[in-house]
Amino acid sequence: MTQLRCENITVSFGGVVACNNISLEVPTGKIVGLIGPNGAGKTTLFNVLSRFQDHDSGHIYYRDQDIDRKKPHQMVELGMARTFQNINLFGEQSTLDNILIGAHHLIGNPFADMFSLPAARRTERSLVQRANEIAEMLHMQDELDTLVKNLPYGYRKRVELARALASQPELILLDEPVAGCNDEETDELRGIVQRLNRELGITIFLVEHDMSMVMNVCDYIYVINFGSNLADGTPAEVQANADVISAYLGEEHDDAA
Amino acid sequence: MVAAARTSAPIANRQAVAALKARFAQQNWIFAGVLFALLALVPLLPVVEGWMATQAALVIIYILAAQGVSVLTGHTGLVTVGHGGFLAIGAYTSALMSHYLGADLLSGMICGGLMAALIGCLLGLIFLRLAGAFMAIGTLGFAFFIGTIVNNVPIFNGRTGFSLPPNNLFGVIDIGDFGFYYVCLVTLALMTLFMYSLVRSGVGRAFKALRDAEKAAQSSGVNRLFYRTLAFTISAFITGVAGALNGHIVSFVSAEVYADIWYSVDILVAAIVGGSAMLFGPFIGGVFIVMVPFFFEELADFSFILKGIVLIGVLMLAPAGVADVAARPFRAMRQRALAQAGGATAREHGRTGGSPGGAE
Repeated sequence: MTQLRCENITVSFGGVVACNNISLEVPTGKIVGLIGPNGAGKTTLFNVLSRFQDHDSGHIYYRDQDIDRKKPHQMVELGMARTFQNINLFGEQSTLDNILIGAHHLIGNPFADMFSLPAARRTERSLVQRANEIAEMLHMQDELDTLVKNLPYGYRKRVELARALASQPELILLDEPVAGCNDEETDELRGIVQRLNRELGITIFLVEHDMSMVMNVCDYIYVINFGSNLADGTPAEVQANADVISAYLGEEHDDAA
Repeated sequence: MVAAARTSAPIANRQAVAALKARFAQQNWIFAGVLFALLALVPLLPVVEGWMATQAALVIIYILAAQGVSVLTGHTGLVTVGHGGFLAIGAYTSALMSHYLGADLLSGMICGGLMAALIGCLLGLIFLRLAGAFMAIGTLGFAFFIGTIVNNVPIFNGRTGFSLPPNNLFGVIDIGDFGFYYVCLVTLALMTLFMYSLVRSGVGRAFKALRDAEKAAQSSGVNRLFYRTLAFTISAFITGVAGALNGHIVSFVSAEVYADIWYSVDILVAAIVGGSAMLFGPFIGGVFIVMVPFFFEELADFSFILKGIVLIGVLMLAPAGVADVAARPFRAMRQRALAQAGGATAREHGRTGGSPGGAE
């Protein structure tokens, strides 16, 4: 079954075509990666899929349902959460509050909620309970009451993941989950991503520059270049693909030499 | 390594944290209880005369108005320079009802609040795309718009204005200065209770999320249109209720005062000086705004200068307001206690024992 699919997505900003007829498929239960050189259109595509960016043509389907006209805030109700490339957290608030915001669509009637009616208080207690469990799963239970701005970088990445998890998603879009992390943090986040997939059955679609991360965790990889599909396949196939090597990995080698 | 070195916090720790939080909440309630008990005792002091009760009522009206501003500016991050407009809507709605229909204070307050809320809701929709300085300019324009209307539309009687019958509740004639003070105090208590509930609810979390990181809020399911409009509506309602009381306190409304921008400025200054993101902030701000001209009776113009100086000083030295500075030591104490109870000591060991570069 297909969790998320897009067909012939085209986005242009003025004269610049950021995405040109991109099509891809994220099967349910898999970890799928999206790679490509800088400026290939990865983040634009991500924003299209999470509905922050409108596309000029093409279609997006979530579980075969057309979501071309959905608003960004409607995505978590469908079961799709995302994280951001540059950590996007509520710094002046505690880890707990950051996680709870992820569960926003579960608060029920906002009018009952803002008057703290008994039903709303019960809901709130269960959400806090779940936030505690998520924090425990990501080894953050000691920092629940710490303000996020006081946490180290790798930690904040995990808070973002926890927030995404709090929405009880079927699919998480990860925009460069290990960008800026050191080796230890990368290892840890990689382990977490794999656990979410294997233990909770969450489908993962990730954009990443860190090749060790992509090649190790992904079941399937899409490569885009200059806003178009370049290749796709298993990590081994992609690594062996001549187009990919010349367009992407090849450049990297040239730079290094 | 940071996490690997750490053992899972025992459940006892989480329970200790929960107990501490319950204790802090209890302390907040006691503080609020003592505060309101003191406020309730004010008119009973033998030296307090009617005019003093009226001054105290004026303080409460400013606190209420500033609470309205704080919903929008403090909690949702939308700076409003035009809340005098909502104050005017509340004042005129209640005044017209009282003048023409003989409505009592309570129905005037409710209708004044609702009318302001309705306009606030529309304004929230119209200003959907505005942010930052543009929002401030938009709301300023709104205040001028309301000012022009009350100045020129015949029913509002322009600068001549109209006077109101003595304040009454449920038809009981003339509740007097002291009665009026208690009406204000009860209203403030109810609004403060509501604010307490609001800021701790999922709705309050959504407001703060929009304030701190709009995109992240949206991707977490916060409907920007709905919650911004809701914040505008709630904010306008509270300030509208304050406006209704403000008309009745002098039993007179006219465009002379309500068409002016000074109300908007005063309310905003009250909210910012006090601390607009804190429940206690408007209390300090309200006292400040009413007391300043009180001490400068002869030299009223100087009060504007002093307000300006204090505002600049607060923005430079304590941008989160006086209440924030006052609460800082208590907050630090609570954070330390929470950190200790939550097992952060384990983390300290983990950090110093682990690799030096590991933490960052």
